[in-house]
Order: sequence, then structure tokens, then C-alpha cells
Amino acid sequence: MSYQYTAQYMSRRNQNWSRNQNTTRFTSSVKLGPVSHTVLLAMMIATLGIIYLTQATKSTSYDYESQKIDAQISELKSKKIDLEIENARLTALEKIKDTTVAKQMNQPGTVNYVP
Amino acid sequence: MGFKLRLPDREYLLIFIVSFIGVLIIFRLFFLQIIQHDYYQNLANSEQIKKLTIPAERGLIYALDKDQPTKLVMNETVYNMFADPKIVDDNDNIVEALKSIVKEKSQVNVSELLKMKNSRYQIIAKDLTRAEADQIKQKNFKGVGFQSVSKRVYPENSTAAHLLGFVDIDGNGRYGIEGALDEKLKGKDGLLQSVTDVRDVPLTIGNKNIKIPKKNGDNIVLSIDKNIQSRVEMAIENGLKRNGAKHIDALVMDPYSGFVKAMASSPRYHPAEYNKVKDAAIFNNPIIFKEYEPGSVMKTMTLALAIDRGFITPATTFLNTDSIKVDDRTISNSVKGHTGLVSMQDAYTYSMNTGMVEIMKILGNGEINLSSRKSLYNFLKELGFGKKTGIELDGENSGIITAPDVGNGDSVRYSNMSFGQGLDVTMIQFASAYCTVINGGNYYQPSLLAGIIDNNGDFIQNKPNLKKSNIVSQKTSQTIRDMAIFGRKTYIKAPDPANFDIGGKTGTSQVIKNGTYDKTETIGSYIGFGGNNEPRYVIMVVEYGDNQAIGGLADAVPVFNEISNWIISYLNLKPRG
Repeated sequence: MSYQYTAQYMSRRNQNWSRNQNTTRFTSSVKLGPVSHTVLLAMMIATLGIIYLTQATKSTSYDYESQKIDAQISELKSKKIDLEIENARLTALEKIKDTTVAKQMNQPGTVNYVP
Repeated sequence: MGFKLRLPDREYLLIFIVSFIGVLIIFRLFFLQIIQHDYYQNLANSEQIKKLTIPAERGLIYALDKDQPTKLVMNETVYNMFADPKIVDDNDNIVEALKSIVKEKSQVNVSELLKMKNSRYQIIAKDLTRAEADQIKQKNFKGVGFQSVSKRVYPENSTAAHLLGFVDIDGNGRYGIEGALDEKLKGKDGLLQSVTDVRDVPLTIGNKNIKIPKKNGDNIVLSIDKNIQSRVEMAIENGLKRNGAKHIDALVMDPYSGFVKAMASSPRYHPAEYNKVKDAAIFNNPIIFKEYEPGSVMKTMTLALAIDRGFITPATTFLNTDSIKVDDRTISNSVKGHTGLVSMQDAYTYSMNTGMVEIMKILGNGEINLSSRKSLYNFLKELGFGKKTGIELDGENSGIITAPDVGNGDSVRYSNMSFGQGLDVTMIQFASAYCTVINGGNYYQPSLLAGIIDNNGDFIQNKPNLKKSNIVSQKTSQTIRDMAIFGRKTYIKAPDPANFDIGGKTGTSQVIKNGTYDKTETIGSYIGFGGNNEPRYVIMVVEYGDNQAIGGLADAVPVFNEISNWIISYLNLKPRG
């Protein structure tokens, strides 16, 4: 392989370009002006804002869920206390004294002690 | 020819106007955001940030069922139903629903209350249960709401009312244990400061949220055994039926710890209906509040002093003539006829006042002098008379003992004091002193607090509070017990079960009215102990009433017997031998 010398100057870049024949260079036909840039920037800020709001709303939705669970816990506790009170009322001595079984009980005549 | 602006001038004007408005806006914003920052910040906070109190739950009160804590006072959430008459538009259906669901809990004049269109708030039913409130809520009445309120519940009704006290409408404990331990029982409310939505649901956004957790009140366990308490109350009611006394108070204590096992008085009130009580005097617990002259039960103390200091034995004799002269006064016996040379045991058995005056003379080497008076005074002080015992109850009184070196602390007074007149005591003082005299000389501070239920639900027991020991010797205690057992067997002849050691002393004291002892009114009392090898319980009964002559033997002893015989089987005590 040999190199041919020419008198015409060719930059290294052009030489490379020539060498990599299959490389393409894309040049957009859409040109963005300052207004478009501003709009894009505003949209990006708005997107970030929406992301922030989504996160904030998400945490708030957890608050509602937690509030709902708290309310359930509170209701169950309240039901438990109601049952405890009912139990205490039903097992109260005042109540037991008035039962038929209690009324039929007698004092033992004699008591014998196991030695 | 009119004035016409050139183009550049109009531009300048526009720029000027816009700039001016801009500057105005900037100034306004500066004023609002910087100068009035705090004002608007507060305004916003008041709209968005809510301070919610997290109410602490009042501690529960337990009693003992043998050794196990059982709930005596609980908390229940109830609902008050209110209406805004201006908005309410379904009066007939509301009245009908109240009639069918809550019945007597609704106000009597609901229809009229609902017609009061100039009012925005009328309570139309009180103390509804959650189920009742839910039933009414389902009907979706317009202008009707519910307010939850925590309320004390007493499953055993009026049991132990005097020692419990009650909680008033503001949530403050009044009288009894509720009053004395109000701070402990109340706990401390918590605080939730948070940004809320329109429905007041707290949200986690914002940086001003604060949560201070509530601290619930202590759950306390009383030393009261609910079975003994109930039986004592029954014995009191039986006593009232027997003799028609206006008041009977009874106390049961453990002599070796000072813990009160039962404390009951009649008449009593229902703590849940304290607002229906007409005479507030009934709220006072007579066992700690009523100061009275104890009468002959005091002879136990006088004898214990003289025996312990070695001045007498039960066999020491003196000449009884049924009356004795002290200065210008003559002191007589109530039970007459046992004259001649009698022993101190006889003096105790037949409750001779003369015997106690003789003891006062013996203490002063033949006369009632400052030395003998000081001996009795110091002994009574050691036993806790003349000062509050410190029991955990609101409204305790201290009693009165006149010092021996003041004007009226003379020989006559101290002669009277030796058999229980001329000094004021409370029942709790006397029972605590009696426990000391029969338990070997250890003074335990009387207590109603057996312990607390901790956060894990475990019962943490309190230890007895021994205030002073060796006030009398073990030997003296044994002697006093023997004398009390002998006296009971000989004089009272009570129907006690065989082979149990049960002893006691009666007291019938006069009452001072208008500066002199009333001839028609007396207070009857009996204090004693029971057990097999050693005392297991001390019972004190006091009966009294305006213009009623109540006797210790005739009236108080039967109540003691009823309680004592029951307790022996309740505690599963076995007879000696």
C-alpha cells in the first residue's frame, strides 16, 4: 500500500471524515428560538412541580389511610371496653345475689375440717 | 389646535404607568409579605393548623377478689345527642326515634326543645351508648349531632361509695380515693398540633406538627376485697333493720399490714348519681371524717399502756365501789354491781370506768398527776391519735387530744380519757391503733392502696408501710388479746364458732350537745379481732343517730358477729387443734 502526495491541503478532520465513509452527521431542521426554550424550561419546572405535588399528595393519602385505621382501632377498642363493662356488670356481686341459683343457696349446718 | 403626544412620549408614559403599577405591586407585596408577615402567617395557621387535645384516660380502680384484682370503677364512652333547632326539619321522626331507641335517656320536652328556632344548640338526649348513637346516626337526621363524653361506670353499683368518691362533671375527682389520688388517676392530656384538611383530618405536611403523647392515669388496685366489702354492707343493712339506727359504719382491716379490707357506711349514695344527692354531707366518709368520743373501747389502750410499762397485770386487783371521785367530779360505772376487790380483767370484761381511773392513779404512783397524764398522752400519740393517719382518702380529720400540760388537760379530763371520753378520734385512727396493740406493737399506716396495674397488665403490689415498731411488746399484745377473748366469752357470750380466737371490746359513749353530755343520745361501738393462731382480721363497728341511744353490746356486737362469722369461712380459717 502506498500514499499519494498532493499539493492540496486537507485537514486531519476531513481526512478522517473521508476515511469513515459510513458515518452520518444529523442536522436538525427544527430550529428552537428563545421563546421555545423558555416554554420548555417552564414545562420542565411544571413537571418537577407535578412530581413534587404527587409525592406530597401520596403522603397525604397515607394520612387518610392511617386516619381510617386509627378510627377502626378506636372503634374496636371502644367495642372491647363495652364488652368488658358488660362482663363486669354481669359478674357483679349485686347481679349474682339476685340470681335464682344464689337465692337457693343455704348456709352449711356444720363444717367438718380435714385433719 | 389640540395637544398631541409624539410617539416616543406615549411609550415613555406607558413605561411610566407600567413601572408605577409594578412598583405599587412590589410595595403592596412587600407590605403584605414582609411587614404583615406574622399577621397573615397566624391567620393561615389558624385556618390550617389545628391543636387537638389527646385526652388521657382516667385510671381504672380495681378491688381485690381474694388475691386477684377485679374492676370496680371503669370508664365508658357515652354520647350526648344535640340538635340545632334552626336546621332540624324532621321533628316528629326525631321524637319517635328517641322514644323507641333511647327511651328515658331523652329529655322530657324534646318536642319543645326542637321548636326553639332561636337556639342553635339543644341537648335532647344524654348518656347514649355507642349502639344507641349508631342506630340514630343511621337515620341521617338533619341538624342532629353527637358529642362523646367519658363517664365513670360502677359495675357493683353503690358498693364502697364512700371510699371511692366520684368524678364531677369537669372530670375532677371529689371525695374518697377519687379526690385523694386525683392527679395520679387523671394522667396528662397529650397534644396533637397538625395541618388538617377541611374535615379536621390531621395531615403530615408542614413543619409545625407537634405530637405530645398522652399519659393515661394509673390503674390502681385497692386493698378492699369486694366480697368482704359486699358482706359488710349487707351486715350493716341488716343492723339498720334490726335496731333502726340512723348510721352504721364498719371497717375491716388486716392487723399485720394496715391494709383496709372493707370500709362501709350507711346511708350511702350511688357515685354515678352524685348529682341527685340532696345533702352533700353524705359525701363525707364517716370512718375518716367523723370525730367522736370512742367510749369504753379506749380501755384497751389504757390497759395496754399500764401492762406494757409493767404497772399492772390482768390479775392486779383494786377495790371497786362503782364510783370514784376525781377532784370535784364523781365518775361512775355504767355496768354496776361487780363491787369489791376485782381484777383488771374484771374491769375490762365488765367495762369499769373506775378501773381505768385506778390505772391512771397507778401510773402516777397513787395520784393522777402530770406524769400519769403525760404517759397516757404520749402513748396515745404513739398510736396515732390526734393526727391524720395519712390514708389515701380525701377529707380525713385528725381528732383531738388535749395535752396534759394545758389548762383543761387536767386530772378529770385524763380520767375521762382513760375510758374514752374527753377526746375525739376517728374510726380509722382507732382501728389502726387497735391493730398495733394486738399485733405485737407495730403501727402500720392504714392504707387502701394494694398496688397498681402496670402497662403490661401485671399487678405490682405495695408493701405495708410500717411507721413505728415496738410500741408495745409481743407479750403485752398477747395479754391484751387474751383479755379481749376472755371478756368476749364471759360478758358477750357471742355465738362464735368453736376453737377460734375471737376477742373484742364494746363501747357506749355519750355525746356532747350544747356543751354538756346529752342524756338521750349515745354512740355504740364494738372493736375486735378474729383468727385461729393469730388475729387475721380486725373489725370495728360504730352506730349512732340523732336522739338515738345506741349501745355497743346490744347494737354493734350483732353486726360484728355477723361479719366475723362470715369472714372465718370466707378466709377458709381452720379451728385450732
